[in-house]
Amino acid sequence: MNKRTFWRNYLSIMVFAFACSLVFMAGTPVQAAGEKEIKIGNILPLSGPSASVGIQNQKAIELATEMINKAGGIKSLGGAKLVNIFTDSKGDPTVGVSAAEQLINTDKVSLISGCWNSAVTYPSTQVAERYQVPFLVPVSVADKITERGFKYTFRIAAKDSWWARDQFRFLEDMKKAHGTKLETIAFVYENGDWGTGMQKQWDILAKQYGYKVVLDEPYPSTASDLTPVALKIKNAKPDVILLTSNAADAILLTNTMATMKVKAKAIIGTGGGHADPMFRKNTAKNCEYMFDVVEWETDLGRPEIPKLNAEFKKRNGYDLAGESVDAFASVYVIADALERAKSADPKKIRDALAATNLCQGPKAPLGINILSYKCVGFDQTGQNKEAGIVLVQFRNVKGTMERVTVWPMDAARKGFKAVFPMP
Amino acid sequence: MEKPGPFKEPGLPRPNKNEVTMDVIIQAIINGILTGSYYGLAALGLTLVFGVIKVINFAHGSLLMVGMFAAYWIVMLTGWHPYAALILVVPMLFIFGYALQGIVIKPILEAQRDVREPTEVIIVTTGVWYILDNLALMSFGAQYRVVQTSMSGQIFMLGDYIFPKAQTYGLITTIVTSGLLLWFLKYTKMGKSIRAASLDRDAASLMGINQYRVYNIAFGIGAAIAGIVGCVLIPFYYVFPSVGVVFDVKCFIIVVLGGLGSIPGALIGGLIIGLIESLFAQYMASTWTELIVYVVFLAVLFIRPAGLFGEKRDW
Amino acid sequence: MNASSKRKTIDTILKIVLAGVVFTLPLWMTSPTYLQILILLFFYAYLTTCWNLVGGFAGVLPLGHSAYVGIGAYTSTVLFMTYGLSPWLGMFVGGIIAAIVGLIIGIPTLKLRGAYFALSTMAFGEGVRVLVENTMKIGPFEINGPRGISVPLKVGTPMENLFNYQFVDKLPYYYIILILLCIAIFITWFVSRIRPGYYIIAGGEEPEAAQALGINVARYKEMFMALSCFLTAFAGTFYAQLNLYFFPKGILSLDFSFELAFIALIGGRGTIAGPVIGALLLRPVGEFSRIYLSAVLPGLHLVIYGLVLILVMLFQPRGLVEPLTRFYNWILDKLSGERKEVKA
Repeated sequence: MNKRTFWRNYLSIMVFAFACSLVFMAGTPVQAAGEKEIKIGNILPLSGPSASVGIQNQKAIELATEMINKAGGIKSLGGAKLVNIFTDSKGDPTVGVSAAEQLINTDKVSLISGCWNSAVTYPSTQVAERYQVPFLVPVSVADKITERGFKYTFRIAAKDSWWARDQFRFLEDMKKAHGTKLETIAFVYENGDWGTGMQKQWDILAKQYGYKVVLDEPYPSTASDLTPVALKIKNAKPDVILLTSNAADAILLTNTMATMKVKAKAIIGTGGGHADPMFRKNTAKNCEYMFDVVEWETDLGRPEIPKLNAEFKKRNGYDLAGESVDAFASVYVIADALERAKSADPKKIRDALAATNLCQGPKAPLGINILSYKCVGFDQTGQNKEAGIVLVQFRNVKGTMERVTVWPMDAARKGFKAVFPMP
Repeated sequence: MEKPGPFKEPGLPRPNKNEVTMDVIIQAIINGILTGSYYGLAALGLTLVFGVIKVINFAHGSLLMVGMFAAYWIVMLTGWHPYAALILVVPMLFIFGYALQGIVIKPILEAQRDVREPTEVIIVTTGVWYILDNLALMSFGAQYRVVQTSMSGQIFMLGDYIFPKAQTYGLITTIVTSGLLLWFLKYTKMGKSIRAASLDRDAASLMGINQYRVYNIAFGIGAAIAGIVGCVLIPFYYVFPSVGVVFDVKCFIIVVLGGLGSIPGALIGGLIIGLIESLFAQYMASTWTELIVYVVFLAVLFIRPAGLFGEKRDW
Repeated sequence: MNASSKRKTIDTILKIVLAGVVFTLPLWMTSPTYLQILILLFFYAYLTTCWNLVGGFAGVLPLGHSAYVGIGAYTSTVLFMTYGLSPWLGMFVGGIIAAIVGLIIGIPTLKLRGAYFALSTMAFGEGVRVLVENTMKIGPFEINGPRGISVPLKVGTPMENLFNYQFVDKLPYYYIILILLCIAIFITWFVSRIRPGYYIIAGGEEPEAAQALGINVARYKEMFMALSCFLTAFAGTFYAQLNLYFFPKGILSLDFSFELAFIALIGGRGTIAGPVIGALLLRPVGEFSRIYLSAVLPGLHLVIYGLVLILVMLFQPRGLVEPLTRFYNWILDKLSGERKEVKA
């Protein structure tokens, strides 16, 4: 054979052999365990459509870990440092499952945290349950995650159904406080797991509170054009619009609704895309007076928040958001459990997590003191009992569009009342 | 454990309870035409490449993305009006497309001289797609960006009907661009060479036309048009590394619907898709309009595979 | 014994050794992570071998095969959840439905050539996905739309586990997919040697000549399509039972369909070993770069994947199976002591 063919063949064979060897290398642990280190596996979407929030979560976790380690690590384990191993789930459940298996069996982590996308969290937590490794879910909200009778799954965020419940409670309070009549309601939601889950909750609650549902509109999250949806909403003339959107479609829909002059007495988002800092940036004036439900907001009356947020913003260029705060707090919850467990053994950690009772106060860690509710503690199903939500309104404050907490009334930002109905 | 609750009709499109009045229909038609025009523009570059070089360019969406980012950055950095940015974007994208074709696709065409449509090109363009999208991800990050321009949110009103400014300008741009393209293909020497090469590669070669140069130029033009689309979209759409994927499949559908290589076909195809999405959405959940688009596509394929305006080749 | 039959013997021995190694691997490589990696590898190799029946032999480019995987997964799971039917049986039902659907889509499209076929399979695949996403129930069956289906976890006695096609441990899954892969390879080998195989390979390369000989190429293409879809559905059931959860954007996605096609194309379409080799190359590259690189620089692993695709197509367009076969032959020659002829 001539020289060219020979080299081609040679190269191909080398590449092939290399690829085969990767099968074996892939089985080796990503990081060797140091002397005094506790390994935490993190499964997050670091590429793909949810990459922007996945990376935000990652940054929050890294910051919390750094702070905890700087303050001396886990004292009951001789100052052991927390080490995070991040793997990219790509938003794909199969990848999540493989990642969970790898983290547990090869990297031998003490616990896992993840996965942001509910669809990835379901099967991944199942893997951890099988191997009896604790799995902390900071963010995924789908109800089912803590409703399967698992012993090793713990969740910090509030459940879907609680979000919906609070949205409707807010509306009731507003009705009373401002004397507004609200009769018709529209559901507009992304056609994924999250959106359809919220719609089920909304449907039940709308009937309970006596609203007439004039529009039930799922839309594809990756739509290139949402003008038809905006037109439909306009035509239905609802008093209240409930939205569940991811970042991109939240932006597109809001801008489109503004262009098409769609108006309602109240427009409420459900976090997710609306909570993303980019939403505000990219919708400029269009989001003013909209409401959003969120676990947390930078203006909550908690003294440590401004300093922490400034630090985070300095490093990453954007504010902390509800979800990244859940991720931030989760590291503190883990550290607290480790302190009490006095061991890196997954079973002992699990028991310590189940007994968590971290409440705010002068001695409490930073991650807990910034939360919108008082205590972190898990019930039988692994759900954080007090996980709460607040309602914010987008308001123009001295030239910048900010998210202003307006509900519960007692948690509202000083000097601000909800503007209701939307002008 | 799912809470019991009233379900919508299982498996059927959710009917719209609200009456769809004439007003709404007219507005929907207007929206459909405006949207359809930029769909058609996006598909224009693809149909040209497809028709001339006979390859499926899966990197087309990524070219759109590159065009959008180019437009975005120029507007952000210079503060120019997006349409002014065309001056820079068009040549940039043209050169980019020309080079891309030359480096990556040409070697395969040369090696597979006798095969009409080498499948390797599909894989290569997919490789280009992955690379471009992820290089963008690594360089610019995953966040969504929208640029605020003088057009953002502005509308024209005609009676009770809303014409968003940015999309209306898009419509005009589409008409102008396709007009220019048609003129180019019909009257200029290079244009005629392109048409000749698309009809019969080898015969054109015999006539002294440098096949590969023609392909490079055609690809370059396709990319340049993608750049134009970028400038059109930037005022009202958000840009991010995977934005190409959203338009990719749609463009393919439009191109086949209209007929491979047919410029009027791409435009009409775009309009049809835009109108379907807009009108049908008023009567059912918009998630079902996606399905209808696919059904229409498949129907056209089976009934008239050459597309509406395509020539009856033995495709 | 002359050199040529010696060569054949060595060839057979090597193949038996390879089979032996693969079948006894779990006995000495017990780490579940490795097993999981290998299981997924065999899973993809199986799928691409099935894909190859249409994409390789029939010479067309189906880009919507994930639809059949989905049909398999949904059918067996839904039947299991509604009627308690063992997923093994459900697997066959799924296969039949997939084959029928494949024929419905194949009969009109296999007449089209090249680009049109590829695009129509793409559109069809996406169409199935959108349809499933919009459907909550079909009659008594819960489809659950975009939320996907969680296969109910049932742990019981080993006999029950076998019936339920669900195992706590990875080992049974390993053997199941390995056996499926062997069956698929065998079927591929078999049909390539019988007449319909010759016919459609001929039909793929020289359609006019084949027609002139009176061969009804289209009918054979359709047969292979049905066979391919039938077998592909089995993988869907396997996936469902392995992961115990699937949803439309995952199992019915375009990316998945593309990946199947690319693995076959890079390995070498139309050959028996090609798809397996392709899986062996691309899967580790993808996994490896994701594990090591994604946390550092998101997206880099996909850039590498894209580069691999381009480079392989530029330099070895017929797939890696060619140089590897040559290498293998060279080894055989060396071992059997046969003198190599000078290649023209």
